Amino acid sequence: MMGEKVLLARVGRADSRSIGTYVADGGYKALRTVLTGGWTPEKLTDEVKKSGLRGRGGAGFPTGVKWTFVPKDTKGKPVYLLCNADESEPGTFKDRLLMEEDPHQVIEGIILSSFAIKCRSAYIYIRGEFYLGARILNKAIEEAYAKGFLGENILGSGYALDLTVHRGAGAYICGEETGLIESLEGKRGQPRIKPPFPAVWGVFGAPTIVNNVETLACVVHIVNRGAEWFAKIGRNEKNSGPKLYCLSGAVNRPGVYEAPMGLQMKELLFGADFGQGMKGGKKVKAVIPGGASAAMLTAEEIEDCPLDFDGLVAKKSMLGSAAIVVMNEDTCIVEAAQNLSKFFAHESCGQCTPCREGTPWLHKVLTRIEEGRGRLEDIDLLERISNQMANGMTICVFADAAIAPVLSSVGKFRDEFRYHVENKRCLVGPRSDDARPSTLNPQLVAS
Amino acid sequence: MSHRRYNLEESGRPAEFPADARARIDRILTRYPTKQAALLPVLWVAQETWGWISKEAAEEVAKILDLSPAHVDGVLTFYTMYNLRPVGKNLLQFCTSISCHLAGAERLMDRCAKRLGIGLEETTPDGKFTIVEVECIAGCDKAPSMMVNDTYYEPMDERKLDALVEKLSADA
Amino acid sequence: MSDNKPPITPGGGGAIPGPAAGAAPPSPPPPPPKDTFTVLFDGKPIEVPKHVNLIEAAKLAGIEIPHFCFHPRLSVVGQCRMCLVEIEGIPKIQAACTTPLKEGLSVKTTTEKVVQSRAANMEFLLINHPLDCPICDQAGECKLQDNSFGYGDQRSRYDEKKRQYAGFDRTLIGPHVIADMTRCIQCTRCIRFCQEIAGTGELTFLDRGGRTLVWTHDGKPLSNDWSACAADVCPVGALTTREFRFRSRVWYLEKTKSVCPGCNIGCNISIENRDFTVYRFLPRLNPAVNDYWLCDYGRFLSESLNLCEVEKATAREGDSVSELHVPAAVQKIAAAIRGASPSDVFFLGSAHLSNEENFLLRKIADQIGCANRDAVVDRSRARKMKSKSEWIEGDHAGANFAGAKDMGMSPGAGGYGLEEVLSGKAKPAVIVAADAAFSQIADDPEKVAVLRRAKFLAVAARTANALTRAADVLLPASSLAEKEGTFTNVQGRVQKFERAFLPRPPARAHWELLLLLAVALGFGDRDWTPQDLRRQIQAEVEGYDEVTEEELSGGILMKKGTFVSVGAI
Repeated sequence: MMGEKVLLARVGRADSRSIGTYVADGGYKALRTVLTGGWTPEKLTDEVKKSGLRGRGGAGFPTGVKWTFVPKDTKGKPVYLLCNADESEPGTFKDRLLMEEDPHQVIEGIILSSFAIKCRSAYIYIRGEFYLGARILNKAIEEAYAKGFLGENILGSGYALDLTVHRGAGAYICGEETGLIESLEGKRGQPRIKPPFPAVWGVFGAPTIVNNVETLACVVHIVNRGAEWFAKIGRNEKNSGPKLYCLSGAVNRPGVYEAPMGLQMKELLFGADFGQGMKGGKKVKAVIPGGASAAMLTAEEIEDCPLDFDGLVAKKSMLGSAAIVVMNEDTCIVEAAQNLSKFFAHESCGQCTPCREGTPWLHKVLTRIEEGRGRLEDIDLLERISNQMANGMTICVFADAAIAPVLSSVGKFRDEFRYHVENKRCLVGPRSDDARPSTLNPQLVAS
Repeated sequence: MSHRRYNLEESGRPAEFPADARARIDRILTRYPTKQAALLPVLWVAQETWGWISKEAAEEVAKILDLSPAHVDGVLTFYTMYNLRPVGKNLLQFCTSISCHLAGAERLMDRCAKRLGIGLEETTPDGKFTIVEVECIAGCDKAPSMMVNDTYYEPMDERKLDALVEKLSADA
Repeated sequence: MSDNKPPITPGGGGAIPGPAAGAAPPSPPPPPPKDTFTVLFDGKPIEVPKHVNLIEAAKLAGIEIPHFCFHPRLSVVGQCRMCLVEIEGIPKIQAACTTPLKEGLSVKTTTEKVVQSRAANMEFLLINHPLDCPICDQAGECKLQDNSFGYGDQRSRYDEKKRQYAGFDRTLIGPHVIADMTRCIQCTRCIRFCQEIAGTGELTFLDRGGRTLVWTHDGKPLSNDWSACAADVCPVGALTTREFRFRSRVWYLEKTKSVCPGCNIGCNISIENRDFTVYRFLPRLNPAVNDYWLCDYGRFLSESLNLCEVEKATAREGDSVSELHVPAAVQKIAAAIRGASPSDVFFLGSAHLSNEENFLLRKIADQIGCANRDAVVDRSRARKMKSKSEWIEGDHAGANFAGAKDMGMSPGAGGYGLEEVLSGKAKPAVIVAADAAFSQIADDPEKVAVLRRAKFLAVAARTANALTRAADVLLPASSLAEKEGTFTNVQGRVQKFERAFLPRPPARAHWELLLLLAVALGFGDRDWTPQDLRRQIQAEVEGYDEVTEEELSGGILMKKGTFVSVGAI
């Protein structure tokens, strides 16, 4: 069942981007409640804690708890809120929709969250490709300033906040929160060593909270309708609230769908309100449940598979950014793994040895297998390379993400890899004759 | 031909920002506590001003922001959206990440390249088109997705792509 | 897996800490704040200073943690991932360099997981590293070689094409540094050196991922004053110096503790030599002076030590110059001194001579009752060196002007100095220039002509110039590498340099030549060594009384008695 639309309630309405329609639909009510209703930052933080809201960007860390990590005494340093709008995980497109269709919901969430952490200057770090999103947000911010929702003395409360849109320029790793912070500081987006964590030492050396777009949008509704309401939505109190799912791949109706957290995977793929089944009536072969970084699941594994944090951990994968990519029986898994490894080889920032060297190595081996130049021992080699790249071998978890598609595809579809090696072609699918090196990983084509 | 982001090319002319761009840079600087933080936005201004970022432009940005040119290079070459050489009037960006890949994005891209008679990261002699392969652009539900300059065209198929190229070729 | 338990505190074995039930126990007096932590390495507790990095702490415990990107004076980036260790209580393997020290931290460096992780990292580092050790200058002092031998696996499972940075090899990227970027392991030490120490920031990462390249902006030269330090900090053969490249395998070289002769900062160096030839200077760690660094100017003076133009003692008779034995030449000088009134003799020391030599020269002057003495130094452009804690500046083109002055090489009561001699106010009959390696006079024909007005001009030198050509008696002197002594630097620090090899006869160290002269004048003992002279300096020269041989051999000391030991820093 689809349930009530909360985050996407206004998507599709005429002129949904304008502040006029937003206010008419009850927008900025939450802000008024908090700023003029005697709420303290602590009360707001508690409310968000009680709601059970967990970060929608990938890691699923409880948002309210994260906020409390900002030191009480910041020793005169400002506190920053960074809205992570660097949505780059392959398969993910929910934040783009929220920003393009209902920017004020996001902005209201940012103002509220900034208030909760006593931040007076917030940034939206939006990926460079979202030209439209950035334009829309900038216009919305201008409107919000004009209406007194941003700037000095917001709603006469004495609270002041500046909000700036900061555009990235093409680097997946800037979605990692410390990579984002480095990038915002005008540097290469190389993730930082932690600790210190951003809440203590973030952007410009000041306490910083980084929250995802969808997470921030949720805050508006937690204020409007209460933590209890939010906590009751979803499978259980640890996996609560409305959730946006990005469905793409071999289904009839891909798109962003809102449902209570914990929607069954099968419902998302086949439900009449959602994906409406497989395109052409094909069979499901594999599903990536949380973006390229999440281990893929087999058709058997998607039976009784609630799409939430704990449901997918139980399947040894992750909800990640809730990007569900469906592959049908015609998909060559080797080719899919090669494509995913290309992404990670291209996007590795290059600072840590295992990731810098390991991601292109995986891609090269997968490319050899895909192009019919593989050897049987390559299959084990893929696993061995992967296993020595992650779990603390690197500064950030990019390498852990990069090996997930490799380990899961090799582990779950070993026979297909074997077939590929032995027969020098795909078991299924059209490709095997048109394989060609990609320009995105020049090492493959460099002389 | 490999496309590593190592070399800044000379434009052969000094890169002085026009007055309106300079005003934009000044406004940008008011939004950050450090000059360095304005680097990505100012590089965007440079790219919007000249279409790409030359060695001279990089040096000018370094000067304005009190940064070493090497630092600017490091940033400039890290982020793939900054063009390190002139690109065509229409920058055709084909996403080939997983969802678009499953929808046949590479075949579409190859077809387009063949039609225009250029390789990836190359520009047609008339300066109208450059083709690049990009990673996921968050158009997965409308795969295969592509962008021309700052505009999405999705979902794409052969017919639509041919029509689009036709139309863009005809535009002055 | 080992099952290390925290150390059991004496008397409190195994008790769970917490508030005792019932009456509050009498609160013990607060212990004095410690400036150390007790850290366990493989179960063995050791006290380490709070501020050191875990890698350095391990070194204090006698445990080597392999690393590439960590450098004690550069920011910690944790990028090479070689220094992986296990920390008790943390499931994932950790980089030692980025793990903050804390009381009771339990570090395991020998577990199977650590061994495997290091081997894994070595494999990653080597898959794209060329196997060109036979033609690589870094061989023998290459961290990649060392760590591969120590922690790597013999085999590689990499069967793909290796990465090459075509167009970025065998390229001179500055006046001294040659880049072979295909060998680079992206540790960023050179980038950080240029940013954080030199402050010039010429180098940067370009591109990203497996394509990351270290290079300069637009091929602009890496030309800061310390550029060759970038090659020093490079753990592999990616950056080497033009001057040393292909000249010698490093394992053939002997190392001698010395002090840079370039200026009065007195950077501690290691002279690397073989077969009576100096091949290079390397910085020698001294946190109080040059730390890990050496400026390019000083470093590349090394070749000048091999220059020997005054090979024989010579004497001039009218227009003819003839060779003679050194003792005979010294006798000639002694005779000239004896033949003149003490007030007509002028002794000139220099900033290139050691304290011992300048001291001996003054003693000779004292012996004959001559107050006419001085020391000379060339001014140079200001040079800067970053010690561990501060920038030190020097502007002398010689290492020991302060020491020469301390030794009394200034005009005595009623005597005159160099200025009076050069201006013609004083007209000495005999001039003894114990060193000629200063261009201020030696390359100035007019000034040499003034000195030449003396009836007798004696010079000890190694390189030829207008002054040596004007000498009546010329003695062949040794280079810095061929003698032992001390210099006093701009901070007042007395620093010892040692002899790398003997001078080629008949050349002798300046102090030996001066000792011959002293003996010829009836003073001193032929068996004196620089050590004996130092004892005399200690006894006689104010401020040098606490300079002891023991501390000198440690390399670092202050003449005013503030001693710093090498080990503690």
